[in-house]
Amino acid sequence: MTTASRFKSLWNSPVGPKTVHFWAPLMKWALVIAGLGDLNRPAEKLSVGQQTTLAVSGLIWTRWCLIIKPKNYPLSASNFFVGLCGVYQLARIYKYEQSKKKIEA
Amino acid sequence: MWNSTHFWGPVVNWGLPVAAIADTQKSPEMISGKMTLALAVYSSVFSRFAWMVTPRNYLLFIMHLTNCGAQLVQITRYVSFHGGMSNLGKMIEMEFNQKSPAKENEN
Repeated sequence: MTTASRFKSLWNSPVGPKTVHFWAPLMKWALVIAGLGDLNRPAEKLSVGQQTTLAVSGLIWTRWCLIIKPKNYPLSASNFFVGLCGVYQLARIYKYEQSKKKIEA
Repeated sequence: MWNSTHFWGPVVNWGLPVAAIADTQKSPEMISGKMTLALAVYSSVFSRFAWMVTPRNYLLFIMHLTNCGAQLVQITRYVSFHGGMSNLGKMIEMEFNQKSPAKENEN
């Protein structure tokens, strides 16, 4: 198989750059990047609802991507990191709330 | 159907628009510009994804449409709280210059 025909088959693949199945996982990494950018955001400015949903849905979607057609491993991976980021932020919020209670006590 | 991830995945993801709608009642200080913008773009891409995937996932599709709208509402609140688009541009430029003070000294 020549390089040209290999590129052509990748380009025309059902999960190739002409399809949303390709761009969707790439896009989801933007959530991971935004999450990482927010790691240093002060804990009192984090939204509990948003982080909870990101954590739970990230982890559920990690599995969904492996049972749809076509299977989407990159999307599964990015969802895993979205979930992980959300869990980390929730831990930060929890720590902050606990330290607030200590100060009040 | 009630046992499948095809159902519970989208149900859980409804938390995103619900959280955003709940957050519209809170101070716009709580809005993370980066995350909200990322979520808005993400939901617009994934509305199409949900439509094109096999099996087609209508619940996910509607959820992403709603989320896109909700995040856009938050973006407008964020922009108006920070004094409009031109002010935001200056803010971002200042933040950029803070991270690379050497460049500013050059100028």
